[in-house]
Amino acid sequence: MINPRIYFFFSLFVFVPLLSGCWDSLDVEKRASVLGIAIDKVDPAEAKKEENQISHLKEEGESSNEQYIRLTAQIAVPGRVPLNALAGGGEGGAQESVWVLSVVGHSLDDAILNLQQEVADPLFFGHLRIIVFSEKVASEGVQKFNDYLRRQPQVRRTAWMAVSKENAKKYMEIAPELEPIPALYLSSMVEDAVGAGKLPYDSIGIFWIALSNLGQDGFLPYLTIGEKHNVRVEGVGYFTGDKMKGTIEPIKIGPLMTILGEEQGGYGLMTNMPGTEDKVLVRATKRRSNIKTAIKNEEKPEIRIKIRYDVRIEENESPTYSLDSPEIIRKIEDRYSEEVKDAYEQFIQDMQKEGSDIFGFGEYIRAKQPTYWEKKVKTQEQWRSIYTSQLDVQVEVQTRITQIGMKEQ
Amino acid sequence: MSNSREITAVEAAAILINSVLGIGILNMPRFMVEAAGTGAPIVTIIGVLFVFISVWGITKLGMSFPTQSIVQYSERIIGKWLGRAYIFIAIIVFIFAAGLLLREFSEVLNTAVLFETPIEVSALVILFLAAYFTRDSLNTFAYIHLFYAPFIFIPGIIIAALSIPKYNYLYLQPLFRVEVNEWFTGITSMAPMFQGVFVLTIIIPFMKQPGLVMKASFWGTALAGGVYVITVISALAIAGPEELKTMMWPALEHARSVEVPGNFLERLGIVFLITWVIAVFTTIFSYYMIIVNVLRQLFRTQDHRMFSFFLFPLIFGVAMIPENVVQLYKGEMAKIVNWMGVMFLMGFPLLLVIVMKLRGLPLKGSGKKSD
Repeated sequence: MINPRIYFFFSLFVFVPLLSGCWDSLDVEKRASVLGIAIDKVDPAEAKKEENQISHLKEEGESSNEQYIRLTAQIAVPGRVPLNALAGGGEGGAQESVWVLSVVGHSLDDAILNLQQEVADPLFFGHLRIIVFSEKVASEGVQKFNDYLRRQPQVRRTAWMAVSKENAKKYMEIAPELEPIPALYLSSMVEDAVGAGKLPYDSIGIFWIALSNLGQDGFLPYLTIGEKHNVRVEGVGYFTGDKMKGTIEPIKIGPLMTILGEEQGGYGLMTNMPGTEDKVLVRATKRRSNIKTAIKNEEKPEIRIKIRYDVRIEENESPTYSLDSPEIIRKIEDRYSEEVKDAYEQFIQDMQKEGSDIFGFGEYIRAKQPTYWEKKVKTQEQWRSIYTSQLDVQVEVQTRITQIGMKEQ
Repeated sequence: MSNSREITAVEAAAILINSVLGIGILNMPRFMVEAAGTGAPIVTIIGVLFVFISVWGITKLGMSFPTQSIVQYSERIIGKWLGRAYIFIAIIVFIFAAGLLLREFSEVLNTAVLFETPIEVSALVILFLAAYFTRDSLNTFAYIHLFYAPFIFIPGIIIAALSIPKYNYLYLQPLFRVEVNEWFTGITSMAPMFQGVFVLTIIIPFMKQPGLVMKASFWGTALAGGVYVITVISALAIAGPEELKTMMWPALEHARSVEVPGNFLERLGIVFLITWVIAVFTTIFSYYMIIVNVLRQLFRTQDHRMFSFFLFPLIFGVAMIPENVVQLYKGEMAKIVNWMGVMFLMGFPLLLVIVMKLRGLPLKGSGKKSD
């Protein structure tokens, strides 16, 4: 018989591996959760003064065309983040529950290492909700940031990116009334806009997919700050490759969403009553699009978009017309279809001129016309040049007025 | 041989599923898309069909000699020394395959979840568990697999189903535009993930009704292959071919971005990781069990337990050879092991069947003794 004590000893040993789960344990209050990041461009001269030597050594006579970014991060202060609406708000607001820090660096990771140097607890990006680029940074290309973010396992693809009109830093410092934490306010801004049909779903993951796709360009929500620290979605910024080219107005987000296949409508349009200057406000409730492709003479690609709108009339400004006969309704429907069609065509042509295929027409050609794609396109650059110079897009719109509200006539 | 034949057909199918579904699921979509672009699902399906041929061969052999081990019948078919040499090579290949699998597992854990835990520790823990359980009999082995199979299978299906509304069907087109060489690369890069089918050789002698083996191996392969196909389809339909190529472990990224409608459950990635840890455990366990049992048969001993901890340092040592993840996936060792695995574990049984035919040995014989 073996001594039972030996068994006991060995069974203790068996449990040792189970304890290895504690290796990575890190209490919530010991980590610095970064909720939002803002990235600005800074003047090298100014940055050099601030920079410290953390991830690289300073060299004498560094080249003068060095790039610097300013990273502003919003870090949740453990224990002070209010858990519900009652606890939040009140005194202090934003500055209380979050801590805003700003550092400079050559690249995103460089800046983050600099930031870590200033924060005692390890930075944690698992709760990162939004990354704001200033317009200038976005127009110089975001690919260099994407590399870090793709590699970094903590950042979620469901977080958001946005482009700001002002300095991105401001977005980390605003003190909104509705939400005690600015970064959460920003991300719920864009998420609610998606819910209301005013913005296509465009989280980081979706944006990256659009950047990678051979026949598509990306876009990001374009934000601006109002007078009372309120943030507005001021349209979307469209990209060519990884560089932002320009912005489109909110009114055109509707058409963009239609073509992208998002059905929920949210935007209204003032439509002229036939034959008069009077207007009715028509609001889209649902839109469906059907995209067909063709290749003309084995040369020219063609996209045909069929769109069906379900709309409701929300306001009738006309003193003379009343909405009481089916003919009038039909006329408004036709009128609306026509206006919308013109708007779409104008919009698409503008985008073609800019060389930014945010609609993803190229993906349709790649998927549906593989022979043509293999022969003539193949690369992103090639598609872009075909998109700007050869692609022919035709739009067809059908409208149904389904509701006119509680008022008769 | 005095086997207690207790493994049922369902257990056999579960063992097969668990041995095949494992680490490969994480990066398999990338391999397939790199090989065939949007044609990846088709290539995957064809690949699974090829696996079926190998499974058919292994099962046929097993059914022809229902009471013998692979060591015995391969010696019988191709001669004593050739047979032994084959078994010896197969064992070496399996030790390397198990080591690489182990390394892949701890590499993923270390990169994606447990940043501080050294890879040696996570590897040691899971290998220790597997080694400990290989000391049990094959019947216990079957019970463990039967118990875990639903935990691997069902969450995988749920995650795939939840992502269907987000599919972009453009990313699945064009489906049939695949060149011949793309078929080839696709199939060769997925075949190593199915090496686990070799487990059939050790469980057939223990099956209650050897007549049901074919059925069990068909369903096991079909279900495991189905999970692979579904994973490829849903990862591709969500990320698109170009973005998918930028991901190291597309299935993991995919699971992490799945959301339950209603926003009441977030971060499903964790659920996926848990099931995936189980899947990896069962695969390593199977590989380990195969090595241990085939060794026992080779040395004609009654007890397989002595091999369990003897193998431990070997497998662990192999796991620690690659320096980083690039070497692990693209290094020479991985290439050689994968090729040898496909040739000796999946191809060679077919050769044995052919030799049997040529020598006029009776093929099949469901349940009856052939010698």
